[in-house]
Amino acid sequence: MRNLPIWIILGLTLTFMIGPFIIIIFAGASAGDALAFPPDGLSLKWYLKVFTIESFRESFLLSMFLAIFGTLTALLLGIPAAYALNRYKLPGDEAIRTIVAAPIIVPGIIVGLALLRYLVVPLDFTVTMALFLAHTALVLPYAVRVVSSSMNNLRADMEEAAVLLGCTRMQAFTKVVLPNIRGGVLAAFILGFVTSFNQVPVSLFLSGPGVKTLPIDMLAYMEITYDPSVAALSALLAFMSLAIVFVAERLLGFSRYV
Amino acid sequence: MRMTLSIAALACTIAGSAMAAEKTLTISVYSFAQDAYKKALYDPFEKICGCDLVIETGNSVERMAKIEANAADPVIDMAVISSQDALSLARKGLVSELDTSKLSDFAKLYPAAQDPIGGNMAVGYTFYASSIVYRKDLIDIKSWSDLLSEKLAGNVALPNITTTQGPLTLMMLAKASGNETGDYSPVISDIGKHADDIVTFFSRSSELAQLMNQEEVIAAPVGRFAWSRFKSSPLPFAWAEPAEGQAGGMNVMVMTKGNGNEELAYQLMDYWLSTEVQTRIAEALIDSPANMDVKLSDEVADNLTYGAELINSLNIIDPADILDSREGWVEQWNAEVIK
Amino acid sequence: MFLNTREGLALALPAAIFSMLLFLVPVGILLSEAFRSDLGWSLSGYTEFFSKPLNQKVFFRTLKLGVLVAGSAAVIGYAAAFCIVNLSPANRGRVFGLVVLPLMISPVARTYAWIVILGRTGIVNDAIVGLGLSDTPIRLLFTETAVFLGLLQLFLPLMIISLVSAMENIPRDVIPAARVLGANWLQVFFKVILPLTKEGLVVGGTLVFTGALTAYITPAILGGSKVLMLETLLYQRVNVANDFVSASVIAMILIVMSFSANLLLKRIATARK
Repeated sequence: MRNLPIWIILGLTLTFMIGPFIIIIFAGASAGDALAFPPDGLSLKWYLKVFTIESFRESFLLSMFLAIFGTLTALLLGIPAAYALNRYKLPGDEAIRTIVAAPIIVPGIIVGLALLRYLVVPLDFTVTMALFLAHTALVLPYAVRVVSSSMNNLRADMEEAAVLLGCTRMQAFTKVVLPNIRGGVLAAFILGFVTSFNQVPVSLFLSGPGVKTLPIDMLAYMEITYDPSVAALSALLAFMSLAIVFVAERLLGFSRYV
Repeated sequence: MRMTLSIAALACTIAGSAMAAEKTLTISVYSFAQDAYKKALYDPFEKICGCDLVIETGNSVERMAKIEANAADPVIDMAVISSQDALSLARKGLVSELDTSKLSDFAKLYPAAQDPIGGNMAVGYTFYASSIVYRKDLIDIKSWSDLLSEKLAGNVALPNITTTQGPLTLMMLAKASGNETGDYSPVISDIGKHADDIVTFFSRSSELAQLMNQEEVIAAPVGRFAWSRFKSSPLPFAWAEPAEGQAGGMNVMVMTKGNGNEELAYQLMDYWLSTEVQTRIAEALIDSPANMDVKLSDEVADNLTYGAELINSLNIIDPADILDSREGWVEQWNAEVIK
Repeated sequence: MFLNTREGLALALPAAIFSMLLFLVPVGILLSEAFRSDLGWSLSGYTEFFSKPLNQKVFFRTLKLGVLVAGSAAVIGYAAAFCIVNLSPANRGRVFGLVVLPLMISPVARTYAWIVILGRTGIVNDAIVGLGLSDTPIRLLFTETAVFLGLLQLFLPLMIISLVSAMENIPRDVIPAARVLGANWLQVFFKVILPLTKEGLVVGGTLVFTGALTAYITPAILGGSKVLMLETLLYQRVNVANDFVSASVIAMILIVMSFSANLLLKRIATARK
């Protein structure tokens, strides 16, 4: 067993990183009323209770909406930008890169507060609109970066060849470039989806009556009680994310792009 | 498929503002016991008014911040908050004077609840006692000063100064130390000296309940409204009756200024204060009644803050005192306790 | 490479303008609030903020925890990444999947678990008492240790991922060659591995450090009001006191800290070429 030390180190590291998740799964399956590990007996009652909580249903839909449409909008803005930054010699391209990447560096809580104070309050934006814009901006850097790196691997002369052979530029893009960066686009979508769906700080200040993202709603629920239903919900959401990633990995080797 | 449709529907309404029904009343309430409220109050009211209730919950600090942020165009029509928070809103001109003639059972309220902050800016709907919850198998609590005693070191939690319960604890600790001047700075210094013995300064009773259930904390001050969280636990919790007595407070209803939805808001207030609803809420062990006509069985009363005798015995701080001194307390607290 | 600049700008600018208008402009206004006082432009927001001992303490605590978390992540990350690249390709994929897994889980869930783990009756304390390290359970919740562990668990995967991709680029024979030539493992690390992976370290270090600075849930739930960090202090200042000047100051500090960490790490990485 020459590899024993390797497996010990990896075992410890993975236990530290994944252990809490295992605990959440079991804490959610408790038969008792309090969050505890080991749980007081096993039951599925908290997993079932999650589905009966109305506000979780509403906030789940809102978070889904933000994650799906926010990421799609970010891709709509991000793919052309990534393409242009890759294929054109642009004046000020460094500035454009920096501006687009800025949302990664600026702490989310500040973004949420700034949007609340300068968009929602004075300009009469709805909270949902502000959330949508914030989540789109937040995902944009990932969209540009991941799509860029998959475009890097694609040689520009293929496209030039397509143009020489009679394609219009648009056709060359849709017929040559797009199919080849499909994997990168999907990876960007999943990365954006997960980032948006789990996002807390940006949404902390952006909530209103009946309008809360799911993570914020989970925090709000913890104002009421620390019962195991938040653990159960967390475990369910994690399984959902895992299923999405698993399918993506099977289809096109998602982890290559992360 | 249904989900896809719902998301698409949400997408369509995002740009527009009105996705609610014609008649909607938005209220801001404390987060506890929402299931019970739904049964005792929200559902029957929705039937009567033929409107939709939108419920905003949260801790009082966050809810206050939101009412203030949206002052120009109120999102919340009516809020239930502590009397000092109500006074704070009233001083900032964010709530409007109530027309008590629209509240049919107004005369049945305890006098203290009828105009708690002056100017008819609020009306009380519940009283609560505040005392110490403790593990009776591990410790005995006889005085508020036990909170800072050696035997509880490392096992006690106190409410954060920014919460409603915070000042009440200061008041009772001051009383226990024989300080009746109303100046709490010696108490804060004393808490500061014991800061390492205090597990945390909590701002939600749900968090405290979790900590007490996992035996992190064995004694802490809480409001009676949170007692049901502890009573239902398998662990042996008890409600202290300290020598200095119990602290107390009142929660009130306010109407946000210029919300344009006054009529519905009055209808809810009227309903909520009625003997019928006050009795139902009390019997569900949610809130103690402010309506004197409510008659409760001994068993129910035992769980609540009920009866003129008890209510009159509570140690209460004038909301104006809290508001005027709070900034100084927080300043001193930040310097000496959270250091 | 296409040369039609106008076409290129038409494609790139929408994204930039979107970020600019909806992100940088509002954040910029917020940052400017601390400089605006009744008397015109001034630095009084900053001097006042730093004159309070609590604020200084929170500032240094945030810096300290950020450095500790990033440093520990680097140490563990190197060990783990080295192990991962030495696995067979099939196992490497599986283990890498497990490393990515926590990133897919909501930080609310990941933090929430620690309340139970670190409690007086939790498994960590059971182990401590069981192993005889202490007679009585020790208090872990609401301490800097709890926040440290929570943050490390949250951001360690980012470091490992960055280091694994950096290490995969080390040519296969370099390390055995160095060993044959008589280098011990410390020398191999500092003379071979570190120089060849420093770009990964810069990326991972920046991500972990920035992440630790700007996490909200972990300090809020595991630290509470006893272990405030800049992010929780900001939330508290806004919500308790409507204090947007402090919020603006903290925002600036956080941004400056993330930027300088990135610059510093880059400088270190390029210094010993």
